[in-house]
Amino acid sequence: MIFAVFLPLLFALFVPYISKIKAKVHTGIFVLIIPILIFLYFIRFIGTDFSPVTETISWIPSLGINLTFYLDGLSLLFVLLISGIGSLVVLYSIYYLHKSERLGHFYVYLLMFMAAMLGVVLSDNVFVLYMFWELTSISSFLLIGYWHYNQRSRYGALKSMLITVFGGLSMLGGLILLSVVTNTTSIQSMIAMSDVILNNDYLPLILTLLLLGAFTKSAQFPFHIWLPDAMEAPTPVSAYLHSATMVKAGIFLVARFSPIFAGYEWFFIIVSIFGIATLCWGSYMAVRQTDLKAILAFSTISQLGMIMAMLGFGTEVAIFAAVFHILNHATFKGSLFMVAGIVDHETGTRDIRKLGGLLTFMPITATLALFGTFSMAGIPLPFLNGFYSKELFFDATLHLNEGTLPITNFLVQIIPYLAVFGSIFTFVYSLYFVFGVFGGKKQIDQLPKKPHEAPIGMLVSPIVLVLGIILIGLFPNMVNGTFIAHAAQAVSGVPIEKDIYFWHGFITPFFMSLAVVGIGFVLFLTRAKWAKVYHAVPGNFSFNGVYDWTLSKMDTVPSKITNTYMTGSLRLYAALILSTVFLITLGALLLTNGFTISFDNLAEITVLEIAVVTIMAVAAIATIFARHNVSAILILGVVGYGLAILFVIYRAPDLALTQLVIETITVALFLLCFYHLPNLRSPNEQTGYKFTNALIAIGFGALMTVIGIAAHSSKWFDTISEYFLETSYKLGGGDNVVNVILVDMRGLDTLFEIVVLGIAALAIFSLIKLKRNKGAE
Amino acid sequence: MSNLAVLPIILPLLFGIILALTHNRIPLSRFLTKTFTIINLGVVSYITFRVFNQGTITLETGGWEAPYGIVIVADSLAMLLVLTTNIIAVACAFYAPHSLSERQEKYYFYPFFLLLITGVSGAFLTGDLFNLFVFFEVLLMASYGLIVLGGDKVQLRESIKYVIINLFSSMLFVTAVAFLYSVVGTINMAQIAERVQEVEQQGILTTIAILFFFVFATKAALFPLYYWMPKSYIVPNPVVSALFGALLTKVGIYSILRMFSLIFIHNIDFTHPLFIWIAGLSLIFGVIGSISTNNVKLIVAYNIIPAVGFLIMGIGVFNEDALSGTIYYLVHDMFIKAVLFLIVGVIVYVAGTSDLRKMNGLINYYPLLGWLLFISAFVLAGIPPFSGFIGKLLLLKGALSVDEVIIVLIALISSLLILYSIMKIFINGFWGEKQESDNIKLKSTKGFMGPIVFLLEFSVMLGIGAEFVYPPIASISEYLLNPELYIDSVLKE
Repeated sequence: MIFAVFLPLLFALFVPYISKIKAKVHTGIFVLIIPILIFLYFIRFIGTDFSPVTETISWIPSLGINLTFYLDGLSLLFVLLISGIGSLVVLYSIYYLHKSERLGHFYVYLLMFMAAMLGVVLSDNVFVLYMFWELTSISSFLLIGYWHYNQRSRYGALKSMLITVFGGLSMLGGLILLSVVTNTTSIQSMIAMSDVILNNDYLPLILTLLLLGAFTKSAQFPFHIWLPDAMEAPTPVSAYLHSATMVKAGIFLVARFSPIFAGYEWFFIIVSIFGIATLCWGSYMAVRQTDLKAILAFSTISQLGMIMAMLGFGTEVAIFAAVFHILNHATFKGSLFMVAGIVDHETGTRDIRKLGGLLTFMPITATLALFGTFSMAGIPLPFLNGFYSKELFFDATLHLNEGTLPITNFLVQIIPYLAVFGSIFTFVYSLYFVFGVFGGKKQIDQLPKKPHEAPIGMLVSPIVLVLGIILIGLFPNMVNGTFIAHAAQAVSGVPIEKDIYFWHGFITPFFMSLAVVGIGFVLFLTRAKWAKVYHAVPGNFSFNGVYDWTLSKMDTVPSKITNTYMTGSLRLYAALILSTVFLITLGALLLTNGFTISFDNLAEITVLEIAVVTIMAVAAIATIFARHNVSAILILGVVGYGLAILFVIYRAPDLALTQLVIETITVALFLLCFYHLPNLRSPNEQTGYKFTNALIAIGFGALMTVIGIAAHSSKWFDTISEYFLETSYKLGGGDNVVNVILVDMRGLDTLFEIVVLGIAALAIFSLIKLKRNKGAE
Repeated sequence: MSNLAVLPIILPLLFGIILALTHNRIPLSRFLTKTFTIINLGVVSYITFRVFNQGTITLETGGWEAPYGIVIVADSLAMLLVLTTNIIAVACAFYAPHSLSERQEKYYFYPFFLLLITGVSGAFLTGDLFNLFVFFEVLLMASYGLIVLGGDKVQLRESIKYVIINLFSSMLFVTAVAFLYSVVGTINMAQIAERVQEVEQQGILTTIAILFFFVFATKAALFPLYYWMPKSYIVPNPVVSALFGALLTKVGIYSILRMFSLIFIHNIDFTHPLFIWIAGLSLIFGVIGSISTNNVKLIVAYNIIPAVGFLIMGIGVFNEDALSGTIYYLVHDMFIKAVLFLIVGVIVYVAGTSDLRKMNGLINYYPLLGWLLFISAFVLAGIPPFSGFIGKLLLLKGALSVDEVIIVLIALISSLLILYSIMKIFINGFWGEKQESDNIKLKSTKGFMGPIVFLLEFSVMLGIGAEFVYPPIASISEYLLNPELYIDSVLKE
């Protein structure tokens, strides 16, 4: 099983070579083997006596991250969809993509996706799940951007990545919280500990974060906006990722975790509201689209909403219907996408306004489309699988569990009506799709290409899917006991026995279906009359607009913010840094009662000292007011020489000498330099600016003084300098302690200070040299 | 006690001096630099191996016993970082000849480079606070030499800010050392730790701790002290940017980690929440900066800020998971920042501009470069199975286990924006049509790719091979949470 997940990845490594060597044969033919093998491997698990299988390979056991793959009914359903539809899509792509395309890239991305998706549905480890989850986003990004020379492709790729990775990251937050709360990384163990999770304070946050991941991935309202733009991908990709599999990862996640949250009322409320809203909005908006793939994209959104809502309901019939519809949706939507691809391929356009009357040119394709759309519309015919799940959905909306919160009971009341509303529009856009393309007037002159039936190879895949529709429709119990029931059991936690019948008698769901067909038909015929309603709702507002606005703000606002303080002005930087350090350090000093002052251990102050210090202070202040650079430097020199005198007073002649030498040299150097430099002082500065700077400077200086006093007053320990005095001669062989410290006791410091000087010399030399060479060039 | 501990400092020093003598002979200098960095890496690997197996190696320099002389402490944390530093040094040694002009090579790039490594390794290894200051000076002085190398106007303009702000923080550093010495009467880090513990970090000590924090925070380019960093990191040659981005800010982070896990740990309720605040603000303003520009170099430079935000967050949370996360992320970020600066260097070289708006369709000509950038984006954003993920996972886990929810949410959002900032380069610069005209001269990227791939391998392996990396890192964080281990290894041998 683990090998099956990694097989596509392993094979992907060879694809670039295959695509190069076998230039004459379509790469897809080689790739096709992989999903078929995987499908055959997993199909043997199907059966009434299926029981879950677990396999583990240690990866990072010390962090609890292991490749634990868990195959239960739910993952089996998904695995078969991924590999089954995958095979059909690869087959279809062989005819859809010409050999001149960069096939190597295409199939590498596709195989990457396949492995990632298998990983998502099989992982029992939350972090492995997350890894595969992001890998699906990445491969989807690459596939949407496959024709990256189109601006729309780049736009769609970025959009899908931003929204799904955002969701992925918030899901990661939720998963980490779950693993902190339960102290395990295994989903099955978490399910076993659901009472711990339900009683945790973080429950609302966990649920929010997880659902953000699920809703973004499964294109739930209002995160659905990335899906229509994802249609820039080649059609096989749309059929595979953006309708049959990847977008169902969010649904899978909710299904997988729903045993944990089953008893939590807000789970019902949030998931149902978002699901139903998505169902209604998606189907309503689908009718407005003119691009075939856009119709299908909104249709997918709406169908995903319906499945999501059913998972939210959480009743047995709802879960059963949800799982059943996952399968049904994959069959009819997959075939419809392929039909749209064929139409695009053979006519050169996907604009439904230009299409029409293609029935005579493409009878087979038209038939396929008819089956697909009618199944999607839920038309009550015994050979359409869509009808069964649609009716189960209605049934589920009528039998919701009452709750304790008023909002729950309100939802229970209105959900059946919303379900009918959404289904009516589903019906409308289904008819709109099939009759808009294949019925009506012929407009051959509008088409870029002369239409004709697709080659047989391209038709095989949709035919297989339509056969699926019919077979499931005719014999629903064929898939029921063998794996739908197992999948439903995995979601609900209890065995669900349910027989699927075509005819239930004259009960409410049947009348709901009739209402959908009746009203839907009327609406379809009068479409032109009520289309104005779209000017009112959504009118000029669109969630896309919100996204575009955000993205354009992301281009401008950050640079505005950044430019306010990254001005390049060193004085501003210094002011900001000093005031930050000042404020926080002052805060620390006050809050920790750090200040102490003690007058012990102080030497007597002589008149001479006072005099010298006063002169230094006056000189330091005078520097600021000096009008010319040279005078400023000279006055600053006074401070330095004052320091030297202080050293003399404190009987440190060598320090005093050093200080004198340094001071003299620096003053001389400064004078030399400033002679060549312009006077840098800008004369007109505003008083407020000066004042602020003065405040910062004085504040900072005062603070350092205060800390200095406090540090001096807190001498709690003997210093290590005693040791130096004692051992200087004994161990160091020198009477001058300072010398011994410099060259022996702390010789390493001295060595590296010399290095510092050496580097400085080299740096200056290289600066001058390179500058001079430049001048010579 | 073993002289081994000082080799990672002394070897590059000697090599640097040799290279200063051979600076006129460029082929020889190149060859020697490559050889030297490899020798260094070999020696450091051996020492690291020994430290992880047999425990900390200390060296009392000049034979002056521990609290009095300067002590070099090669413990697991220091050696892990020294090892990472030297791996990056090897990559840079191979990248440099392709990236630098001959004049830059001739005028002491190689000596500065090795002396930078000397300073960085010294800062990691020293057990003496004043000596740490000295090594900071070494690495800063070498970095001054590197940043002005070339002598362009813009380089001089930015480096003056760089030099002055770093000078300020150095002054603050010495002042803080003086204050601390006044209170505890020693500059040996182990003994400081012992004495601060004895008086339970009362009185002025926490204020001094905050001063130290700001000294290192300025070097680490944390909010709100990073103003000097982004623009000054992009003016020198890419290989210099890579060294700066990978090493310099990380020395600041290392110092904070050391000071606030060894010494100032007795008023955690006061100091460490401050770090979490600063982490949050660094993450926010860092990513805002990184998406504020179309200059590809600047995008990468700004990305340093959220990374140090992540690092400081783990120190602020201060439990075993979070500290492991910080160490993991530290190593990861050293690699990936070097990789990104090196990649962006090549992009600017082949595109002839650093303005993203003037690039288009590069992937048609430089597919390898494009895919390396693509992978790096995911490594940087912490997407599994790459190295960033493990560190981030540990950090977030650590934070959540002490109920720091808000910082976690900020961290997650900034991960998205970090990814966006780099993917912007990929989508706008690499995707797109082939240029119509034939007059596009393809520039050879030979020689650039090897070092980049070499470093990126480590990023990937740190993620996939986490089982081999995580246990030693967890042992480091356990070790950091028991400061007596450090104190004993220095003072009781």
